[in-house]
Amino acid sequence: MSKMSISRRDFLKSSAAASAAAAIGMAVPSDLEAKSNAAQSDWRWDKAACRFCGTGCGIMLATKGGKIVAVKGDPAAPVNRGLNCIKGYFNAKIMYGADRLTTPLLRMDEKGNFDKKGKFRPVSWQRAFDEMETHIKKALKASGPEGVAVFASGQYTVMEGYAAQKMMKGGFRSNAIDPNARHCMASAVVGFYQTFGIDEPSGCYDDIELTDTIVSWGSNMAEMHPILWSRVTDRKLSDPERVKVINMSTYRHRTSDLADTEIIFSPNTDLALWNYIAHEIVYNHPDAIDWDFVKKHIVFAASPVNMGYGMRREGEKSLKDGKYSAKEMEIMAKEMKKVVSAKEAPALAPYGYKEGDVMVNNPAGLAHWEISFEEYKKFLKPYTLDYVAEISKGNPDEDIKEFKKKLKELADLYIEKGRKVVSFWTMGMNQHTRGTWVNTLAYNVHFLLNKQALPGSGAFSLTGQPSACGTAREVGTFCHRLPADMMVKNPAHRKIVEHSWKIPEGTLNPVGNQHIMKIHRDIEDGVVKFAWVNVCNPYQDTASASHWIKAAREMDNFIVTSDGYPGISAKVSDLILPSAMIYEKWGAYGNAERRTQHWRQQVLPVGDAMSDTWQWVELSKRFTVKDVWGEQPLRGGKKLPDVIAKAKAMGYNENTTMYEILFANDRARSYKLDPEDPIQAGFDNSECLGDSRNVVGSDGKVFKGYGFFIHKYLFEEYADFGRGHGHDLADFDTYHKVRGLKWPVVDGKETQWRFNVKYDPYAAREKTGTTHAFYGKLAKALMQGDLNGVKDKTKKSLKNKAKIFARPYMDPPEMPDKEYPLWLSTGRVLEHWHSGTMTMRVPELYRAVPEALCYMHPQDAKEKGLKQGGLCWVESRRGKVKARVETRGRNRPSRGLVFVPWFDEKVFINKVCLDATCPQSKQTDFKKCAVKIYKA
Amino acid sequence: MKLENQLSIGLLTAIVLLAGCNEANSAAPAAQKSVTQQVISEESLGLRKTNLYTEADTTADKTTYTTSAAGESKKFPRAFQDAPPMIPHSTEGMLPITIKNNACTGCHLPEVAKDMGATPIPPSHFTDFRPSESYAIKGVNTSSETMAHVSIKTKKRLVGARFNCSQCHAPQSTGTPVVESTFKPEYSDPDGAVKSNWNGSRFTEYLDTLK
Repeated sequence: MSKMSISRRDFLKSSAAASAAAAIGMAVPSDLEAKSNAAQSDWRWDKAACRFCGTGCGIMLATKGGKIVAVKGDPAAPVNRGLNCIKGYFNAKIMYGADRLTTPLLRMDEKGNFDKKGKFRPVSWQRAFDEMETHIKKALKASGPEGVAVFASGQYTVMEGYAAQKMMKGGFRSNAIDPNARHCMASAVVGFYQTFGIDEPSGCYDDIELTDTIVSWGSNMAEMHPILWSRVTDRKLSDPERVKVINMSTYRHRTSDLADTEIIFSPNTDLALWNYIAHEIVYNHPDAIDWDFVKKHIVFAASPVNMGYGMRREGEKSLKDGKYSAKEMEIMAKEMKKVVSAKEAPALAPYGYKEGDVMVNNPAGLAHWEISFEEYKKFLKPYTLDYVAEISKGNPDEDIKEFKKKLKELADLYIEKGRKVVSFWTMGMNQHTRGTWVNTLAYNVHFLLNKQALPGSGAFSLTGQPSACGTAREVGTFCHRLPADMMVKNPAHRKIVEHSWKIPEGTLNPVGNQHIMKIHRDIEDGVVKFAWVNVCNPYQDTASASHWIKAAREMDNFIVTSDGYPGISAKVSDLILPSAMIYEKWGAYGNAERRTQHWRQQVLPVGDAMSDTWQWVELSKRFTVKDVWGEQPLRGGKKLPDVIAKAKAMGYNENTTMYEILFANDRARSYKLDPEDPIQAGFDNSECLGDSRNVVGSDGKVFKGYGFFIHKYLFEEYADFGRGHGHDLADFDTYHKVRGLKWPVVDGKETQWRFNVKYDPYAAREKTGTTHAFYGKLAKALMQGDLNGVKDKTKKSLKNKAKIFARPYMDPPEMPDKEYPLWLSTGRVLEHWHSGTMTMRVPELYRAVPEALCYMHPQDAKEKGLKQGGLCWVESRRGKVKARVETRGRNRPSRGLVFVPWFDEKVFINKVCLDATCPQSKQTDFKKCAVKIYKA
Repeated sequence: MKLENQLSIGLLTAIVLLAGCNEANSAAPAAQKSVTQQVISEESLGLRKTNLYTEADTTADKTTYTTSAAGESKKFPRAFQDAPPMIPHSTEGMLPITIKNNACTGCHLPEVAKDMGATPIPPSHFTDFRPSESYAIKGVNTSSETMAHVSIKTKKRLVGARFNCSQCHAPQSTGTPVVESTFKPEYSDPDGAVKSNWNGSRFTEYLDTLK
């Protein structure tokens, strides 16, 4: 590691722009050079990561006079090589909306007391923390640690997520911290865990330039991962005959525009389509199976099918209290039992179901067991071309013969010997009531053909958010996780973390089930009494939204939102805290190809805004050992032990603060602030040094900084969890010298293809004597059985193997019917990020797409008496919103489906969506519910 | 500095007082310290000024793109130095961009742009920064890349990565955002508002961020 750092650093020092240009043979006109240098002489350029999607582009950012003045693509960034998308360029303007939050705001009465029904008034940071302290203590008393919750984020910096995780799990002993990333890629994660035993993709973006075939499944890459799509486009144009692009989607969108073939399928039938390809391989092209690879590296597995849809279950408090309408209950009843439909009956036949049978649903957890290949083959039998084409054709106006031809072509491309194939997917396969299943089905096809974890071939889950991988997943800011793929329920893992954090054994809470939907439901049920929103917008981004905004405003609770701007979550909160935005703090993100990228603080935050890291650390000063480490009650009569005596034995006392233990300990203080350090020199550091604003802090005094390099401390302590365990990160300083590195970083080298012994040192270390080693450790010993259950409870080791799963097509819980005849799918548009909080404040992006439109087929519009540009109501069993009709836009659905994006506060589409989730991953299906549309 | 602060607080308070219950007053939340008397309603915050708990009175901002044909419209100044220009003309009939038909190039390719009165596609779009063969195959991964690996090749044709014009350039509706932007463009070149000058030596300028 150090050797590489030094050589690179030396190189960088000696490599001025001109010499770099000379090295690549460019002519540099001297007059131009002089002119350009002079013109920007008072600008400071620095590298940073883009604020937006999971692609993780590098940008060059210019500041002048304490303000950002320009952004350009970074030619040295391997992800995007000098190019950004429209949002990427407009990073320059995202922090400059006129209504930046500059001071804490608290709902108060005339006398200045907190009043849930009051209006907002500005308060000091000290008062804000006083209120938080009071309400957290109240919540702990009322509900124990489960009463204190955090809506966390895939847009947290690595350091913020780690700080939040430490205080929540180590301090408050609450696992009710779950990120918006739950809505974004939880199904991908469970897919990785079940298939590989370890999270995150085996491949990397280099696959795009190396492949012959790109199949996009439920992923509008052209809009959602524009720079990856520019790489796909470049590859396609470089060899249009050889390179094939197929777009698999439930409606036509921009990704179809460059595709050779577009397959429009009926929502949820991606399950059937993957199984169709596997059926083609196993039944019609058995010679295409690489048996040598399969026998050495793969086992077959099955799991229960009657597991429900992640909705509320009978007996839950808010259901008993009548908070759900009869209309809502029509769908929610399916959580308990459902009738097997004609559409799904053939797929469920191998499990013993037939059309009309009542399927009783039970929580199934993540249990699965090994089956034989013969059993898997029996499972695949129904997925003939005829059956799959019939249930999956998504465009009623397409000829079935034409559709079948395309399915055959799709299978043939996968199967073709010597053809490299990459399958990309995003929200279409993740936001899915069988999201975990469909993720695992993707690997099946690639495994059978030995087209996984090879340069140019692999099934590749793309991430939505800039640090869904880096922070949410790798740091483990989920209710059930700890850093580096460790789990709260595993006593050995808890011990490792307790040891690292220097907190008593037994402090960490082993029960981690408050995922993001559960937190909302717990607020509605009155269990969670305190919730804090960090770097996300859960009151705009969650389905069945009316329930949650009502629960926030009307229940006895205290909701806090930290944000740069007042979005919907801020509006429904009791306390709003002004947060520093991305380039106003030091940070790091991790992208979808495992690349970790750091940046420095470029400018000072506005007003009294401070980073979320600072907010967590300041909060930790308010809680002592005796406040949080005594015996604590959990639901169901369980208890967390009193660990105060153990804490004393470790040298703490009852009044030692969580700040001293978790954040300002000896290790933390060893990370020095040094104006001579080339990484720190000349850059602000508001948390560590304070700054010229002289912000009055949480104790009523001017905040002068922690006096040590807290970001470096948080990063290094966190990174230690993964080093030596397949998640190795480089050291903090290295990331400031390079354009990111893909972990595991071993001996200074990043890893491009994991599990491949040629590229991944961890795979090579296993000495399997074969091409691959799937060395992930989770769920790597299975009982034996058949499709219907376990037959032999003896667990067999699957060391270094991966799994192919039998998982059938099933209907989603709500489908179009007479009263609600159309499918509704939601999603994003290129120009806006998530709930639009930042991008709707950038004039160019606002004007590009000022409103969320209801994209629909012209004939559907005509039949309902709707005109292009006219207003319509989009109504489901849960609520309705108004939107303008668009029949000629960038999204062009077939008859029977409408698409409405969710960035627009004025088209609050999540009031219409259903909060059903994949029961295994708990990720909401935002892509499917049933609506009616009529003139407004 | 302090004086300025007080002045701006005074001004804000004045606006709040003058505006009374004008809910569209977007300056309200930018409240400064010590303005404790300031009262801010939930509705006055953010982009949506209507009741959040019903949709009856809420309508999205209407999209009104220009109808002027290409060549007849007034160009927008670039948002900042070398920012991608926005599309000033109607795109009716020009989208989508497909592999067989990229209507944008019909007018914006440099050889025809001048005659068409169109903004010419700049040199950066004829520059390929991606190594033609991935370093991956050659055993160079990005951890051992140096600045010397920054690849810059001039191409005769629009580079493939820049084929999807609409990923950076968008038409502009005529509406005004609810919230103003305080961003102030700085053009380092006299013609920075109308032209990209990101080419030649500027491609690699300032890339060494630890100098």
